[in-house]
Amino acid sequence: MNSKIGRRDFIKLAAVGTAVTTITIAAKGNPLAEGKETSPYRWAMVIDQAKCVGCGECSLACQAHNDTREDAPWNRMIELEPLNGEPVYAPVPCMHCENAPCVDICPVGATYHRADGIVMMDYEKCIGCRYCQLACPYGARTFNWDKHTSANSAVPEWGEPEVERRPRGVTEKCTFCFHRIDRGLAEGLMPGIDRQATPACVAACPVGARIFGDLNDPNSPVSQALAKYPAVQLRQELGTSPRVFYLPARRAEAEESAS
Amino acid sequence: MSQRIKLHRAVFPVWVILLVLVMAAGLAAAVHVFSNGLVVTNLTDLVPWGLWIGIDLSAIALSAGAFTLSAAVYLLGWKELQPVARTAVFIGFLGYSMAMLCLLMDIGRPERFWHAVAFWNIHSPLWEVTMCVILYFTVLVLEVAPIFGEASWFKTRWPKLSHRLHNIHKIAPALAIAGLCFSLLHQSSLGATYGVLKARPIWYKPSLAVLFIVSAVIGGLALTVLASKVSALLSERANVRQDVLDKISRAIGWMLLGYLYLRFWDTLGMEYTLQPGRTEGLHLLTSGALSFNFWVGELLLGILVPAVILVSGKLRRQPRLHLLALLLTVGGLVAYRWDTNIVGQMVAFSYLPTQIEPLYTTYSPSLVEVLVGLGVIAYGLLAFTLGVRFLGIVDHNSLPEEAVEPILAMPLPVPTD
Repeated sequence: MNSKIGRRDFIKLAAVGTAVTTITIAAKGNPLAEGKETSPYRWAMVIDQAKCVGCGECSLACQAHNDTREDAPWNRMIELEPLNGEPVYAPVPCMHCENAPCVDICPVGATYHRADGIVMMDYEKCIGCRYCQLACPYGARTFNWDKHTSANSAVPEWGEPEVERRPRGVTEKCTFCFHRIDRGLAEGLMPGIDRQATPACVAACPVGARIFGDLNDPNSPVSQALAKYPAVQLRQELGTSPRVFYLPARRAEAEESAS
Repeated sequence: MSQRIKLHRAVFPVWVILLVLVMAAGLAAAVHVFSNGLVVTNLTDLVPWGLWIGIDLSAIALSAGAFTLSAAVYLLGWKELQPVARTAVFIGFLGYSMAMLCLLMDIGRPERFWHAVAFWNIHSPLWEVTMCVILYFTVLVLEVAPIFGEASWFKTRWPKLSHRLHNIHKIAPALAIAGLCFSLLHQSSLGATYGVLKARPIWYKPSLAVLFIVSAVIGGLALTVLASKVSALLSERANVRQDVLDKISRAIGWMLLGYLYLRFWDTLGMEYTLQPGRTEGLHLLTSGALSFNFWVGELLLGILVPAVILVSGKLRRQPRLHLLALLLTVGGLVAYRWDTNIVGQMVAFSYLPTQIEPLYTTYSPSLVEVLVGLGVIAYGLLAFTLGVRFLGIVDHNSLPEEAVEPILAMPLPVPTD
């Protein structure tokens, strides 16, 4: 008697398991088949290290417009080894990887790709497990360990906050100022060309070391720069395929010696 | 009444009061965390997973005796292990509830704990772990329910409910299968949670999943036997069959040797991958800040010494050495989980091409973290103590339940035509 029940239970369980797996694969396995949004744009950023003087105005503009904490900037300014006695800088925002480790591993899908390639954060979904901080090879993510109440020292000199402060207990990171891109496009402006439609850090750079634009458009500032100069992506060997490119400082040196 | 039993009866209330006090301190610390945020911990953006994750990982791993012994009893038909499986299932139930308490403390938005159920990301090992933990906890609740139903005080008060809970036993084989599936999935996926992170080379390897499941089975069995033996020493309500426990201990000893082989080659083989960040992490383990933990805590005291004691019949028959070996096995598993979690965070490799120096970080838990952690552990100990006293959790003389035929061990029907 008992053995019959056992076998039946086993078969039932196996059937339920198979059904659940099938439904899961059908429902979730192929997001592209669900008529996911498409976009004509592929946004990217180019940072010219030969031009960057490390003034940090990009970081201040970011802090003002995105209302970030002073001690947890979205755009970090890092000083590298000097080249021929001249300092070299690397401003580091979120890389908006095409193969983003954070998007793969977020247990609740709170961080995700928009059709135009921007890696977004859903602060309403995030449970604050901080797995994405472990997964990000670029240290681009900061966590709200407490409620952000302090005054923003970059306001109003470097701009006014354009987005809400993030609540306690969620992770946050650079968004490529998607709100400026969307608002600009709605007004018929072109991100990368019109200042109001361009990420705040790019618009604020006084020496033109930051370039923004659409990789799909061969005439966009980023496509032009990438066609002209060799570029590097950070930790290329990981295969994350970042959408932030660096034109190395050594390039200027090579050009000078060539001329 | 012997002198010893009198002493135990006197100590019992002291022990319970002590645990309640530690739990109260933990609760106060938890309130502090909930009202002020995780800023009161020593966690940072560079080391976001600390003591609580360590306790969480250890509690889940040490609960693995439940699925292992349930599978042995109900699938392989090793019926003599049935009373031990009962202890293991109760420990598993406590272990998973401890793990969930730790996770609730650790996540920034505890009120959104259910999001993983509602918003799926099937690519995330952590999503899979969360789902399996929830499903397996359901299995454990069903497996533990008959234990409550069978307690005499429960029977006299709620006879009907007791009967219903007891009847859940009928699906024990199905529960054992479900528990085996969910456990194999998430015990190894906890290793994969670290193993899939390419950003942290010391973690990035498929073998973490294997090491996690193997060490969990060993540590889970060791804790089950240890808790049974200690209960029998300290409580008149507990009685054990030493011959049955002895068999399990011997198996633990041999499995430890197998695990030593895996852990040794897996770790030292990493030296030759020459991967930036991985070599540095490995040196932290073998000669740096974690080297004592690694060589002494994990390998020598955590594996080698207990393996020798448990494999050798002569040493194992000395009760004190036997207990020590089980305790060391459990400690070795905790050390492994702690080292694994922390080592990948201690070396954050630079992402900048001209800066090849890795960034070394440190972490030691704050008082608040320690208090919450101790509170969770005190809850587990208290619940187990009460379980031994009022639910007969460790009782190898209990009448075996009405025969439940193991399903996998059944002979196949002979074709008639």
